Amino acid sequence: MTHARAGESSAFAALVRRYQRTVYSIALRMLNDRHRAEDLAQEVFLQLYRALDSIDSDTHLVFWLRKVAVNRAIDRMRQESRHDSEPLTDAVTVVDESIADDPLLHRRMTELIAELSPAARAVVVLRYQEDLDPVDIASTLDMSINTVKSHLKRSLMQLRARVQGTAIVEDIR
Amino acid sequence: MIMRALFKHSILTLCGVLSLCASAFAADGQLKIPEFAGLADKAAESVIITLDPSLLRLAARFLDPADPQDAAAREAIAGIKGIYVRSYKFDADFAYPKADVDLVRKQLGAPGWQRLVEVRSRKEQQNVDIYLLVEQEKANGLAIIASQPREFTIVNIVGSIDMRKLHELEGQFGIPKLEIEEKK
Amino acid sequence: MSKDFEQQLRDALQPVDPEEGFDQRVMARIAQERSRSRTKITRWASVALAASVLFVAVLGAHQWQLRREQEGLEARKQLIEALRLTGEKLDVAYQAVNRESSPPADDGSGA
Repeated sequence: MTHARAGESSAFAALVRRYQRTVYSIALRMLNDRHRAEDLAQEVFLQLYRALDSIDSDTHLVFWLRKVAVNRAIDRMRQESRHDSEPLTDAVTVVDESIADDPLLHRRMTELIAELSPAARAVVVLRYQEDLDPVDIASTLDMSINTVKSHLKRSLMQLRARVQGTAIVEDIR
Repeated sequence: MIMRALFKHSILTLCGVLSLCASAFAADGQLKIPEFAGLADKAAESVIITLDPSLLRLAARFLDPADPQDAAAREAIAGIKGIYVRSYKFDADFAYPKADVDLVRKQLGAPGWQRLVEVRSRKEQQNVDIYLLVEQEKANGLAIIASQPREFTIVNIVGSIDMRKLHELEGQFGIPKLEIEEKK
Repeated sequence: MSKDFEQQLRDALQPVDPEEGFDQRVMARIAQERSRSRTKITRWASVALAASVLFVAVLGAHQWQLRREQEGLEARKQLIEALRLTGEKLDVAYQAVNRESSPPADDGSGA
């Protein structure tokens, strides 16, 4: 990071490669569209390039990237007012089938997550994709811990009910 | 008390004699006035005015031609090259260096300077000397030295003094009407 | 029994890589922005410099004019004061001459 701050392009490119997965994934889960997710991820790194002097550690960098990525995504979603999810035609190809026990289930889950409100979606993504605890989620999203827990609880209930509903239907079949 | 009534006579003479013919004489009517260093701090009141040619020209630009007083002043200073005033008032008698004031008086003994008026008033303890530097029948300088126990004033006007214009300033800027002609 | 639901969520939300060449596209975008900024800065710097030089010149001229005006008004004030003092001392002389010229008061004596 020191080299990147010193203006060495190769060092910054290395930073991009190191954290692109995190940033892109957050953008993707939030926006539910590959192209828009890439565009947003690029913007996040552009912003990082400008703000590099204010980053003082790797830990801070990760926190910063997550915070900027998810908040930019929320802003964009609110601007576009897309609360209704679109068919996850792009998202379908994203499911990593090598590790998925049940690709269909996973696909269904990502569809259902995309139906959550921007704030709830952000909480779920940071919790289950980034593995952050509620305290870190609260600080990333500038929310109170109670609000985070509330989002988590309601989202899990909603998702479980929707998934189980599907399962029940499938079982009956 | 010895009073010399030269004032009226001199003014009449000058008004009659002085003409507007060009002056060929370039004598300097400027007196060497001492610095009077530190006197302003001792004085209850002090007036120190130094208007050289450029400042006079600048001052003239700010005289309002529409104002009668300003217009008269502008006329009066038309040929004047400089005005130098040192005036001090004190709270105690003879707090000023009388010798320095006398040094200025001594310069008026030089050729060209003509005494117009000498006032010595023992009652008011007041001395006033008015001198004109006359060259080729033209007044090229005016000096006034006035002293009292608690104040003194030196006025030195350099340049072509038009006494008629000075006369026209009567009643303005506190200059009294001289009523010279009336006293004929 | 199906896997723990939360674990399923984790599995569904595994991080994903962007398309290949993402880092190069980011660097290209950075280079583009730097080039745009330099042009903007250069252009704006010249405009700003010209504007500031003009501003300083105009301000300087204005201040000079204000100063000159102040000097002129002060000079006028001094001129008036000088004429007043001159008149005051001329008046002293005039009064003295007047007293000298006036006939003596009749003291009532004499035959």
